[in-house]
Amino acid sequence: MRSVREGDLARMGVLFERHHRPLFDFLYRMTGDRGAAEDLVQDVFVRMLRYRATYRDDGKFETWMFRIARNVRADHFRKHGAAVYVPEEDMDWATDAPGPAHILERARDMARLKRALQALRDDRRELIVMVRYQGMTHEQVGAVLGVDAGTVKVRFHRALKELRDAFTRVPEGD
Amino acid sequence: MQCTDLGPQMLEYLAGTLPDDRLAEIRAHLAQCQACRDEVEATAELWNELGAAPSPRLESARMRARFDAALQGYIDGQTESRVVSMAAAPRPAMRWQPWLQLSGAAALLVIGVGLGRFMPSAPQSNPDIALLREELRDTRQMVTLSLLQQQSASERLKGVTTSGQLEQPGTEVVTALLETLRHDPNVNVRLASVDALRRFSSRETVRKGVVDALPQQESPLVQIAMVDFILEASGPETRKVLQQLVEDMMLNQAVRSRAERGLRQVGL
Repeated sequence: MRSVREGDLARMGVLFERHHRPLFDFLYRMTGDRGAAEDLVQDVFVRMLRYRATYRDDGKFETWMFRIARNVRADHFRKHGAAVYVPEEDMDWATDAPGPAHILERARDMARLKRALQALRDDRRELIVMVRYQGMTHEQVGAVLGVDAGTVKVRFHRALKELRDAFTRVPEGD
Repeated sequence: MQCTDLGPQMLEYLAGTLPDDRLAEIRAHLAQCQACRDEVEATAELWNELGAAPSPRLESARMRARFDAALQGYIDGQTESRVVSMAAAPRPAMRWQPWLQLSGAAALLVIGVGLGRFMPSAPQSNPDIALLREELRDTRQMVTLSLLQQQSASERLKGVTTSGQLEQPGTEVVTALLETLRHDPNVNVRLASVDALRRFSSRETVRKGVVDALPQQESPLVQIAMVDFILEASGPETRKVLQQLVEDMMLNQAVRSRAERGLRQVGL
């Protein structure tokens, strides 16, 4: 990122190659919409280009990138509302395909869990996505959110609890 | 220790990353508190279920092409505005704006994809294409193996995920996944490797590898995921293994409870 900041803009392609997957995963799990997540990934990298001068050497690149991603996602929700999308294609694996009963049951549980996750408050879902799917430590999440690791632990526990509650509220046959 | 103290430490407890003194405190509390034991078990289950949710499909090549077009547009825009300002020239009526370039690139991409779809494809038997496919598969496999060796946990996690995208992974990849499950220092990477191994659960060597690795695991979270794996694999040894786990008093209580429920599920 340093060379990009110094003017070698073409190097942004290397950063895109390295980081677009985790970023897409984060934005997809936050929006539940593949198309929106793809657009937002582009927006994040374009913003990184525009605001490259704000990148500081003392911070981690991923922290800076996720801060921008959070802003981009917040702007998206402001414009389009934090609507919950559960696209049909993502429910494919929860259909009544033949197979052992427990596999089918598991697929249904997965679909319910996904709905429960989407039903959570945005900031709660964000914590779960960062820790569980991005593999970030409490300290790393704290750096992105601007709070200490202890606060992250407490908030994260609350988020998991809410997810469990939401999961029990999603009807089984849904 | 109070029940309310457990919550924020739960994940570290399940991951096996707590220092010994705090671990002892929690164990002592759990030994006398059924509600907290249930809470630990439910959290571990939820954590594993979350991990089993599939990653979204990603069309990297298309996204990269789109970004390259946007990047080129941005660079050209920068160069142009520099030239314009140096010459103090008036703004042309029709500038080749980045968004226009992006739309152009997107249109070209759509045309390209369309042509690719409707053009008659080369026969499957073409030896050059077969060779190319084989080379591509080998390259992907090498990338996966190389990612699994990286120092960074997120890179290794990427390696485990990439293994799921290989159509017919060779024995090296399966062995590397088992090695990752046994020895990777990061809990999330080990959990991901259990998930990645699910597609090979019909292989006896894989089931045996997972069963053998279970007692070595320090994290109850990973152990529970492994119990689920054994259960889903439904191998001829499943009942016996679950029974042994239930009887193993050295195992974490939440893991034994999961094995016990598994036994009930398979009908014992």
